[in-house]
Amino acid sequence: MKLNHSYNKFILIKLILIFFFVDVIASELIDEKVKKLTLELRCMTCQNQSIYDSEADFSNDIKKIVRKKFQEGKSEKEIKDFLTNRYGEYILFKPLLNYKNLFLWAFPFILLVFSLFFFIYRIRKR
Amino acid sequence: MSSLVGFISLSLAIGINFFLLFSYFFLKNKNYNFNLIVRLSSVLTLISFFSLMFSYVTSDFSNFNVFQNSHSNKPLIYKISGTWGNHEGSMLLWISILSIYGFLFSITKVADLKFKQLTLVIQSSLHILFGLFIVFTSNPFLVNSVIVKEGLGLNPILQDPGLAIHPPVLYAGYVGYSIIFSLAIAGLLNKNNDDEWLYIAKKWSLISWTFLTGGIALGSYWAYYELGWGGWWFWDPVENISLMPWITGLALVHSLLMIRGEQILKKWIIFLSILCFSLSIFGTFLVRSGILTSVHSFAADASRGLFILLIFFIITGFGFLVFLLRTPENSKPINLLFVNKVSALVINNVLMIITTLTILLGTIYPIIIEVITNDRISVGGPYFNSTVIPIMMPGFLLMSVAPVLSWQTNRLRNAKLYVLGFMIISVVVLIQSYFTTFNTWGVLGLILGVWIIVASIISIFSSYKIKFSYKMLQKINPHIAHIGVGIAIVGITCSSVFKEEYDYNINEGDKFRIKNTFITFQKVETTNEANFQALRANFLIKKDEKLVANIRAGKNYYPVSKMITSEAGIFHEWFRDIYFIVGDQKDNNWFIKIYINPFVSFIWLGVLIMVLSGFIGVTKK
Repeated sequence: MKLNHSYNKFILIKLILIFFFVDVIASELIDEKVKKLTLELRCMTCQNQSIYDSEADFSNDIKKIVRKKFQEGKSEKEIKDFLTNRYGEYILFKPLLNYKNLFLWAFPFILLVFSLFFFIYRIRKR
Repeated sequence: MSSLVGFISLSLAIGINFFLLFSYFFLKNKNYNFNLIVRLSSVLTLISFFSLMFSYVTSDFSNFNVFQNSHSNKPLIYKISGTWGNHEGSMLLWISILSIYGFLFSITKVADLKFKQLTLVIQSSLHILFGLFIVFTSNPFLVNSVIVKEGLGLNPILQDPGLAIHPPVLYAGYVGYSIIFSLAIAGLLNKNNDDEWLYIAKKWSLISWTFLTGGIALGSYWAYYELGWGGWWFWDPVENISLMPWITGLALVHSLLMIRGEQILKKWIIFLSILCFSLSIFGTFLVRSGILTSVHSFAADASRGLFILLIFFIITGFGFLVFLLRTPENSKPINLLFVNKVSALVINNVLMIITTLTILLGTIYPIIIEVITNDRISVGGPYFNSTVIPIMMPGFLLMSVAPVLSWQTNRLRNAKLYVLGFMIISVVVLIQSYFTTFNTWGVLGLILGVWIIVASIISIFSSYKIKFSYKMLQKINPHIAHIGVGIAIVGITCSSVFKEEYDYNINEGDKFRIKNTFITFQKVETTNEANFQALRANFLIKKDEKLVANIRAGKNYYPVSKMITSEAGIFHEWFRDIYFIVGDQKDNNWFIKIYINPFVSFIWLGVLIMVLSGFIGVTKK
């Protein structure tokens, strides 16, 4: 089970240090970005394994591509678009929020809100 | 020969069950012994199962199933487990366990004989459905058309002690729901039965749920040390499928506990009983039909999938139809207050159902999308983590105090003590995390886990006088189960949020250090084992200048199936696991990956406590 990997809290210190060790910090930030993104990508040649966790050739190639794109200054969304164009949406473990997947994302929370209101209504009625 | 015995006894068992069904509806004279007939069919089914096992143990390759899935040089334990390591055999195991449950039910005391008969008849109908499925689409007793000396071998990834016992335990859970289904339907049809079945169902539901818990945990532990990915839960469709009946079963167990209180949520309990077994069959359909890998692989051989789908619709349709037609009247309206025991239970039941539906939707959504738009999408871990976890969190919070809430009033005894405890824990965890690495999920999970443990301990000491006896243990059993949950949550949180990893490219003999642990990558050896070649790297682990362990990690090569499996090496400590994976070699340089998984043993400990407390609960009157 993987939970969201949040960013380091010492952002301020980093900002100060950035003036001194620009290269080091930049590459560290890119490492974190690559990790965060590749955790959400599917290794297409493995069975239900993320690209980050996999050592397959395919995954290592994608890791390199992602790193290169981040170094070129591309955003996470641009890289995702690039990869989905190339490999299809199947590569994304976290489905995009679009019309097709709206139901998938909305359903649990609609259900939750609906039952909450129902519960309050039942208590109020008594 | 043993194939013939197996097939005949399997068919006979189905025939006997047909007789039972026929005679129940058409013969006026019902003086014959239902119990004996059910027991006879169970014995026949078991004979059939053991004759298949016999074929496996003796490597009888005249049986096509054995030829396809076994090899004579496999160790004995994997010859035995090979019996259920394939589709046909696992379905035979399924029906054997179904008949064992029928047998066990036939020897339990039930006051209302008519009701018992009806339950057994429904159980027999289930037996017939699955029996016909085996005979027509998945017969494990087919004769091999050519004479061969050697089999094709068992998938090496299944050759592992954990996975050898995983299917029987898991199935004991899944199939246990069949008896609850039969009880619920019989209870609906037989209106004279005054809720006796609810008390009977209580035990059976707890038994099934406990086995299912054990089965899932075994599978998860296996994934942890065998797959070599460093994790233990991957939101794989197969895992999700086992989780759904587990959650609804949990809801059922808790709802049935309510019978001790004043109100009976009868409708809800029946609904859950039918749902649990439906989800079990639906899971079997998804796994066995191959539809999960791709809609197209399903279409390639649809007969099996369609047959199970048919069984699923018959059973679920029949179940819910009876439920709709003969819904019981609520004896009393349920007493919902803002926070009392009933509302806590209702809220958690609703949350569990929402969770189940979310998992169900996420698991089948790719199939739906592929059928409609022909696009392939993935719904993986990130989706489930961001939906399931937030939905469950309030449930866990409520669970911590639920056992001590009152039935009738809004009051919580010693409320101040609990509030104080919660605040202290929150502050301590926050401070602790501020000085280490701060992570929102980590903090929330830790507070929840520790809080559940502490709240349960407070409840034990404030509600009972502690004596050391088994009776006492039975009394505080619910709290103990909850402590298990708390421990597991701490383990889950720490091992997923605070996991660390280190990559090395090193030569034999190199040394490195992770915090206070010194590790020597000693040497790599290859050895020839019975049915595989093993490559093992030796790691010496030193702490404070003392040698504490010698860990071996590597890979196995299985020549029969030409497969390589990774064999992770794990150094277990109480508060963390050091997890070794050996990667590829490049001119004497080995790629070594090491995970530090903090508190991972807490997960297994927590689950073990839950399972033990499940069995203690079964012994309770």
